[in-house]
Amino acid sequence: MNFHMFNLAFVDLINSVASWRLWTLLGWLEVRQRYARSRVGPFWLTISMGVMIGSIGAVYGTLFGQKMSDYLPFLATGLVMWNLFSQSVQEGSMAYINSGNYIRQAATPKLIFVLQVTWRNLIVLAHNFVIVIVLLAVFGVKSWETLPFFIPGLIIFVLNAIWVSMVAGLLSARFRDLPQIIGALIQVAFYITPIMYRPESLTRFSFIVDWNPLNYLLDVVRGPLIGQMPNSISWGVAIGMAVVGWPLALLLTGRYLKRIPYWV
Amino acid sequence: MAFIETKGVTLDLPIYDVQGRSLKKRVMSMGRRNTIAEDTDGVIVVRALDNIDVRFDTGDRIGLIGHNGAGKSTLLRTLAGIYPPTAGAVMRDGKVVPLLDISLGMDENSTGIQNIRLRGLLLGMSDREIRQKQDEIAEFSELGDYLDLPLRTYSSGMRVRLAFAVSTAVDAEILLLDEVMGVGDASFMNKAKQRMAELHGRAEIVVLAMHSNAEIRRVCNKVLWMERGRVRAFGSTEDVVAAYEEQVATT
Repeated sequence: MNFHMFNLAFVDLINSVASWRLWTLLGWLEVRQRYARSRVGPFWLTISMGVMIGSIGAVYGTLFGQKMSDYLPFLATGLVMWNLFSQSVQEGSMAYINSGNYIRQAATPKLIFVLQVTWRNLIVLAHNFVIVIVLLAVFGVKSWETLPFFIPGLIIFVLNAIWVSMVAGLLSARFRDLPQIIGALIQVAFYITPIMYRPESLTRFSFIVDWNPLNYLLDVVRGPLIGQMPNSISWGVAIGMAVVGWPLALLLTGRYLKRIPYWV
Repeated sequence: MAFIETKGVTLDLPIYDVQGRSLKKRVMSMGRRNTIAEDTDGVIVVRALDNIDVRFDTGDRIGLIGHNGAGKSTLLRTLAGIYPPTAGAVMRDGKVVPLLDISLGMDENSTGIQNIRLRGLLLGMSDREIRQKQDEIAEFSELGDYLDLPLRTYSSGMRVRLAFAVSTAVDAEILLLDEVMGVGDASFMNKAKQRMAELHGRAEIVVLAMHSNAEIRRVCNKVLWMERGRVRAFGSTEDVVAAYEEQVATT
């Protein structure tokens, strides 16, 4: 443990958060750029996510013999939240690489480029979340008591997404094969994490779910929305990941902060 | 009192894309420019700055001269804090603003007004500062109603005018400039020159890299002559520029 490195990254983090105007603007520009001149704009995100949920829901809901009124909200919340995590990490791996232009021209704090990715994906989440709200309205809210727990759940979830993309971005800037590897891993993670199927339905291979931290991480944001209070293991794992991950990510960032301008 | 000082600054630029084996195998000097070496893990390393010791104080107008690839731009970036030095240290007191690339942070799909904000934020201005200066920037750029149109509708001259207007609106204590002149049509050139003079006037220290010796003679009180990443000479404008011109003439 090196306190100096940690400190370096921590100062950068403070400065980055302080320049929130810059990363919120950069994040928003990126979203707008992708949908420039399209009539529906970023709501294409909502539409394509809606179509995906509809088709997966129809096929797998039938395959697994699920009740649609339960399965669709489960699937929708899972997919929408998973999308936030996976895209944050995937785009996070390109955070520094794609911002090389800025990094080489101005001495801005470096973590703004990671926060920009997170912000962008929160904007995407806001658009996708329309579907969750619609489904909850159509099929009814299962439990109003669990609903407020979505807020702390989301905060923990996003904190975890940020540190993972910090690490992904830093390592990818140096090792350019990593974004591809990360992309492949995320694909695998999607299948071994209970998003399309219920955690308890993997009877013979329950260890896949039990030992998958993403399962618990997803639980703290999905559970409250579908009326199932996440158990203490889920909260514990999710909070524990953030508590362990953040110092590690900051330490690593501090160690290589000075190398970033040379890598991009 | 603003100052900027380097103590034994050495900077090795690692170049990762070069996989050339012949390059890897030997340590060679590339032309008369830089020293290329190989570090332990096989990455090509260019020594861009070699043991630079200089100090600039309030009132200094420094001209950087030297051949292409002598390390002028790298030195500016190191002074700005963009490249942390491999060895040695850079000490500075005062707000440093680097104007190295005229096209920094211009977004095609944003309007002129939005681009003023984006570029302003990147140059370290606050939102309030940007709002205060927005009208003045708009007026100087002569873009008028175009400022409400997206940047992609602009001609290249208009882009440069906008970028120049925003960049030169900053209040810097230490200003680092890399060949930003040469913008727009003749009438704009004159305005730009005047505005540059005002910008210089507001800053306590100006460091500019430029190829025009006449311009350097006009603006600078001291000149730093760089060669292969080292300081070849640092002193009064007249002496150093004369020596440089003599060397250029004889080789």
